[in-house]
Amino acid sequence: MARILVIEDNADSLELAAYLLQAAGHRADGASAGEAALAAARQDPPDLILCDLQLPGMDGFAVLRGLRQEPRLCAIPVVAVTAYAMVGDHERVLAAGFNGYLSKPIDPEQFTSQVEAFLPRRS
Amino acid sequence: MLIVDQAGRIILVNSQTEALFGYARQELIGQTVELLVPERFRPQHPQHRHSYFAEPRVRPMGAGLDLYGRRQDGQEFPVEISLSPLETEAGLLIISSIRDVTERRRFQQALQEKNEELGRAIRAKDHFLAAMSHELRTPLNAVIGFTGTLLLKLPGPLTAAQEHQLRTIQSNARHLLSLINDLLDLAKIESGRVELYPESLVCQAVLEEVAAALRPLAEAKGLRFEVTAPAEPLRLQADRRALSQILINLINNAIKFTEQGAVRLRAARHQTAGQWRIELSVSDTGPGVAPEDHARLFQAFTQLAAEPSRRQEGTGLGLHLSQRLAALMGAQIRLESEPGRGSTFTLIIPEG
Repeated sequence: MARILVIEDNADSLELAAYLLQAAGHRADGASAGEAALAAARQDPPDLILCDLQLPGMDGFAVLRGLRQEPRLCAIPVVAVTAYAMVGDHERVLAAGFNGYLSKPIDPEQFTSQVEAFLPRRS
Repeated sequence: MLIVDQAGRIILVNSQTEALFGYARQELIGQTVELLVPERFRPQHPQHRHSYFAEPRVRPMGAGLDLYGRRQDGQEFPVEISLSPLETEAGLLIISSIRDVTERRRFQQALQEKNEELGRAIRAKDHFLAAMSHELRTPLNAVIGFTGTLLLKLPGPLTAAQEHQLRTIQSNARHLLSLINDLLDLAKIESGRVELYPESLVCQAVLEEVAAALRPLAEAKGLRFEVTAPAEPLRLQADRRALSQILINLINNAIKFTEQGAVRLRAARHQTAGQWRIELSVSDTGPGVAPEDHARLFQAFTQLAAEPSRRQEGTGLGLHLSQRLAALMGAQIRLESEPGRGSTFTLIIPEG
């Protein structure tokens, strides 16, 4: 069981990701805006963060920078889950410092294992 | 054209110079050439003259700088000036050829404005495409995603009819996603925004990668899937993504339209008229295409199969897109096919 924070402003997409992760036995918490997500992460640092890029206010890139600035949060893997899926978007996301990139629509059969691949190894 | 002596005095002018600067000849002869230079440049000008006399050779004046002349009425205009030394009994003189470049400058500026306008339009279109891609994918995420959770039976068991209907939703949603992907790819090609990054590739490696991804699809349909390539590595310069995309489209089509038999992928190197070419061909044992339909096949949204079930399967953009991508790569796609004898699509890539 891992604790995963899902940052997603689209309620249906958030419900989908959380449902799939919970069905696989993980704890999934949701945040629909960047500021709220940072507050939630500070309160209770998760094992992994899934982050949409287009968010109201702070976008996903700003959320990532915010996380990386905080010593307690900077080592948490952050995976972009985004509907920006044009040529070059994948490279742009990795270059910005995200640990991974998943494009929407997500593949419901693969999603959990794709996400789990980014979980830090338990020692 | 005018001639100036070492002291900067004008000693000869032609009638074009008179017309250009608005002075009569007698008003110019004997004056220093600074008369024709805008006031703000006058103080430095004698210095430039002296350095030219120190090293006289044929050259344009003020290379890389915007130069201006001053008319009698005080109006300035952009000029281009070339200087050449002239040895005479009276000593070294300078011939100065002056051209009015107002028109050219105006044209350049108009061109630059047009370019900027075009740049803005292209950026707006790119932004529109990116936004459209994003907006179309977002609702599909929920449609494909929750259809998937139901089919995975995460919320609970399904009746046979529910499962059948959910599979129908799933395949249509995936079809819609392929359409969106192909249309966006095509829109990017149409607006000239697809950049290819040619790299040194070994054909066999690309073929193996593509074959590994598509072999299961062929075998699931009971088709044999064969890859034939020479033992020695076939190297070429090409964009890996474009090459893979073309091959995937061709192989997908072959699998889609073949009910029994085999799909064969073949790589070879041929010489035609002194030019080496790499040929990657995809053959199937499907229904084949009548010669009169060959050209039409490459147009957008053309599918020849009469069976309605088949029309569902492709976007009708795959071949069109592949041909556009091939053209960008400097390659072409050749079709050999006859009804009842299968089809062979060959991607022909010139070497070097």
